[in-house]
Amino acid sequence: MSVFGKKLKKKNPQAKLGKLERRQALAGYSFVSIWLVGMLVFTLIPMVQSFYYMWFKIKARNGLQFTYVGTQNLTQIWIEDPDFIQGIASYVWQTLLQVPIIVVFALIIAIMLNGKIKFRGFFRLVFFLPVIIVSGPVMNMLVSEGAASIPALNTQAVVSAFDTFLPTAVANQLGTLFGNMIMTLWYSGVQILIFLSALQKIDPGLYEAAKMDGGSGWECFWKITLPTIKPMILINAVYTVIFLSSNEQNQLINLIKTAMFSATAERGYGYASAMAWIYSILVTAIVLIFFALLGSKKDVYDRMVKKRRKLEKKEMRAARRVERRSARNAKRIEKQRKRGKFRTYDGSGDY
Amino acid sequence: MAAYRGHRTNPDKFEKSQIKIYLLILPMVLLTGLPIVFIIFHAFKPMEELFAFPPKFITTNPTLDNFRKLIKASRSAGIPISKYVFNSIFITAVVVFGSLLFSTMAAYALSKLKFKGRNVMMQINQIALMFVSVAVMIPRYLVVNKLGMIDTYWAEILPLIALPVGLFLVKQFVDQVPDSLIEAAYMDGAKEWQIYLKVIIPLIKPAIATAAILVFQQVWTNLETSNYYINDDSLKSLAFYMNTLTSTTTTNTVAGQGVAAAASLIMFLPNLILFCILQKNVMNTMAHSGIK
Repeated sequence: MSVFGKKLKKKNPQAKLGKLERRQALAGYSFVSIWLVGMLVFTLIPMVQSFYYMWFKIKARNGLQFTYVGTQNLTQIWIEDPDFIQGIASYVWQTLLQVPIIVVFALIIAIMLNGKIKFRGFFRLVFFLPVIIVSGPVMNMLVSEGAASIPALNTQAVVSAFDTFLPTAVANQLGTLFGNMIMTLWYSGVQILIFLSALQKIDPGLYEAAKMDGGSGWECFWKITLPTIKPMILINAVYTVIFLSSNEQNQLINLIKTAMFSATAERGYGYASAMAWIYSILVTAIVLIFFALLGSKKDVYDRMVKKRRKLEKKEMRAARRVERRSARNAKRIEKQRKRGKFRTYDGSGDY
Repeated sequence: MAAYRGHRTNPDKFEKSQIKIYLLILPMVLLTGLPIVFIIFHAFKPMEELFAFPPKFITTNPTLDNFRKLIKASRSAGIPISKYVFNSIFITAVVVFGSLLFSTMAAYALSKLKFKGRNVMMQINQIALMFVSVAVMIPRYLVVNKLGMIDTYWAEILPLIALPVGLFLVKQFVDQVPDSLIEAAYMDGAKEWQIYLKVIIPLIKPAIATAAILVFQQVWTNLETSNYYINDDSLKSLAFYMNTLTSTTTTNTVAGQGVAAAASLIMFLPNLILFCILQKNVMNTMAHSGIK
């Protein structure tokens, strides 16, 4: 019996792959390899390098010259660069406010576009069209021309209206949000598309069944549409965060860029790397917030299965422990018996 | 089960119940559409209208002056504009094709095949997605330099091929392909690459179309690669050329504004054309996933 514990260890299913699994793994590696190489060479290695540069002052004088400065770059940002700190604060507010608005907008538009209306194809085209120009020189020109805001809208009035019951920072952000209404709509092209694809996959039979049972359109939306497209909401939120944080209209990106190419000894590439890392950690944090808010909680059945499995594991562990203990005891008894210390009553002689 | 009705997009008749949807949707359509109309009108504006205040939306007397100026400016340069056009088209075509191929392959492997380390790879992609691309510019330059690709087409193609956004989007769609389809193909003796070609690719066509537009747009308007990795003028892209034209002219005269407007329309048009071609695919998204 004492072998049992060892045997169980050897049977570890992860240690050796079956033929099928091995084949699949091989195919997987070969499919992924080309992409992986590109990723490593052009994205991951540069990223690691920039992390390394973060701790240096770098001068571009006949080749790059490094001087190790430790965390000086980071402290310098906090002390000497109010623009960046302010930019980051407003960026966080803006993103946290803008993402839900864009996602909800996209959802509403997608639902409307999924319904039966005339000229649906045309509407879809118009909403997706901005996606093809949201970056690059064309967009910069549009923004500088002021075509992205509505001149007739008085944002000041909106801000003061919100200011009465909200903190000023939030109210200001809401004001800019209203000012950039067109931008908000423009940024939702891909999101609308993702939502549409999810909506089209919902079985119409579900709605029919719900209608038979007397469900209203409102109820159908909350009980059928929303749960089905919930994973897509998360994807859209993540996509929106990433898009907002890495497009060219973002002033933080421009700050980093100017810091990178500034010739002064204080700034330069190491400084810019530190900025970039602070910024990307923030972006990651925001994405994590949305993950925490929207992440799919496993349904009841899954949770029960998990609980049961845990219980089984626990029982098995207990059983094994008992076995081990009894084996140990048996050994000890054996030993002691050999030494003659331990005697059992065999019915003869006196005990 | 009710049949899928996605293809007959427009209902036959106008119904009263649609009015409320129209009321909601029309203002949004107007808001979204206006800047596009603006680009088009802007290119045809004569000088005095370009600087009118408040800016006018609609051109009252359209001219082709801006385009004439643009052509004139490009004539005075040493390298014919056709060379830039060729460069841009070549680079864009290769990058779009390559990045779609690699990202669909990787997406299939990462979402449907089981092997060690795939979660790690997905995490890496996610992190790369969130990282500011500006920050890796100089290390990337060093890598490109070390590989000896400065002043070759490679420098303009390779850094753009492994874009994390494409993989992120495509993988979401591959995730939705039901496993049972793949298992069925497997039962019938299909190899992995056959599954990839005959099951996955046809099913995620709409996603590919979407990703194609995104990648195209990114590459077509990309200035950075030409700016940093290329010193030879005859290898630079059209986007870069347009940018130099407009920026050098704006520094000395206001006349550059007109050229800029014309140039931006020219840069915008290929996007529009490609979009119109792929539009049907993009819009029908995941209509036929085979299994409900």
